[in-house]
Amino acid sequence: MKRSVGEILGKTGIRIPLILWTIAVLYPIFWMFLGSFKSNAEIYRNPWGIPESLNWQNFADAWTNYNIDTSVFNSFIVTAVGAILTLALAIPTAYAIERLKFRGSNFLFILYVSAMMIPMVLGWIPLFFLLMEFNLLDNIFGLAIVYAVSQLPFTIFVLTSFLSTIPKSLEEAAAIDGMSPYGILVKIITPLSMSGIITVTIMNTIQFWNEYFMALIFLQSSENYTLALAIDFISSEAQYTNAWGTLFASLIIAIVPVIVLYAIFQRRIAKGMTEGAIKG
Amino acid sequence: MVQSKKQKYTFLAFCLVPTFIMFVIFTLYPLFSGLYYSFFDFSGSSQNMEFIGLDNYIQLINDAIIPNTIIHDYFLVVTKVIGIMIMAMFFAVALTQLKIKEAPFYRIVFFFPNIMSVVVIGILWTFVYNPDLGLVNSALEFLGLESVARPWLGSETWALPSLVLPSIWAGIGLFLLMLMGGIANISKSYYEAAEIDGASQWQQFWKVTLPLVWPQVKISVLYIVITTLNGSFILVQVMTGGGPNNSTHVMGSYLYQQAFVQYNFGYGATIGVMILALSLITVLLLQLLMRRDKVEY
Repeated sequence: MKRSVGEILGKTGIRIPLILWTIAVLYPIFWMFLGSFKSNAEIYRNPWGIPESLNWQNFADAWTNYNIDTSVFNSFIVTAVGAILTLALAIPTAYAIERLKFRGSNFLFILYVSAMMIPMVLGWIPLFFLLMEFNLLDNIFGLAIVYAVSQLPFTIFVLTSFLSTIPKSLEEAAAIDGMSPYGILVKIITPLSMSGIITVTIMNTIQFWNEYFMALIFLQSSENYTLALAIDFISSEAQYTNAWGTLFASLIIAIVPVIVLYAIFQRRIAKGMTEGAIKG
Repeated sequence: MVQSKKQKYTFLAFCLVPTFIMFVIFTLYPLFSGLYYSFFDFSGSSQNMEFIGLDNYIQLINDAIIPNTIIHDYFLVVTKVIGIMIMAMFFAVALTQLKIKEAPFYRIVFFFPNIMSVVVIGILWTFVYNPDLGLVNSALEFLGLESVARPWLGSETWALPSLVLPSIWAGIGLFLLMLMGGIANISKSYYEAAEIDGASQWQQFWKVTLPLVWPQVKISVLYIVITTLNGSFILVQVMTGGGPNNSTHVMGSYLYQQAFVQYNFGYGATIGVMILALSLITVLLLQLLMRRDKVEY
């Protein structure tokens, strides 16, 4: 009995830091959310409180006056094209490395995986001129290609470990029935590894949707801006125009899709992230 | 399998070659090319690309800002490693060992910032530090500590330390999960045995938990170090742009400024080579330092 009283006290004590950190995490996000409904005057008068009314004007301003609509569209295209291209490149390679034992398969795997540890910022300077050469600078498809290749090491790493759990007998049976290796890859392996493919694709999608620095370097004209660049632009404008409510609204627009994904795939995202945690 | 050698090699090529070509063009070639650029005076147009040997490296050594950028990077590395590891370890032990009913709730909430864009985190925290509207100064006033309030990101002394908090805020969730995974794998019998031997909770942590999650600790520290050296400039760029008066420039943000703002691409590449070299050296040293005899089960 004595012990359980101590345990209860201990648990209450331990909850204090847990609750404090919960507040530290949620409060700024909640504050930004409330701010997105406030007028500028209200933000200055009452930065902490609940908004007087649900004023959607900030969202309308961000959407039309600050071209967030275009940026959402661009981000969507970059994310979708990037994610699909990553899979198109990574699935066959992961399959070959894991299942078709060939000379150098181990070397190739190590080459891809070690790329996760290398700082890429040095490569961005030549990449800038390379994209210029290919007429892909200031082009969202060029950016999507760069994104896709940048996530190849992580994607190959996760998919190979996933493929190793699929029983070999299914492929063998299909091969005996006369199915070509291409057929096996498309009709047997890809559907069987769907769970791994989904996990890695969610991770890549979040990564591409959130990316900022490569977009900053490789995109130049505002009609090609992704969301990250658009909100960065509004943020620097807001230093002069004080359009804080609009800025908060555009931040909310940027994180809502990620919140929705997280709400649906919380476990997969956490698992995918820890599995690929060696990435640089 | 009824398959000729030729068919087999064609299929292998189909699987490997397109991916490898893309990887070479967009990852390997730019890296080596960056190394090559570092020996040139290169301002963006190919006509003005002049081989200057080691001049960029001499400039690097004599550049008064460079040592500061290195110090700033390692300041962030050290404070982040300490801050994140202590807090993540504390939360991980609390959430796994103490049978708290709502543990999944904390796990989900603490991980949430990990999925947010660095640009959103940066802008959000710029607000938290805003001298007039920000939470930090408002909270200090509320507590009657007005004298401590200041324009955090506008202060040469305080701007860099102010970047540590958002980095920890955004980072903890992932390492919490990794450590929780490690602790969950520890067999209950070790704790029972320790309990019988009369070990306190504190002793159990040092003698059982920590040695057995050492692989996770090691990988977490390495990961924080790598991501900080390779990516701290993103938060710097969003929150301070390297200012005020270069007081928050890290190696990456200085590279960005040199290459993409001032168009000294050759010198930018030299800074990139330095980042690459320092990252590799740091990772190797850390692996030596953290080599610890594997615990026998």
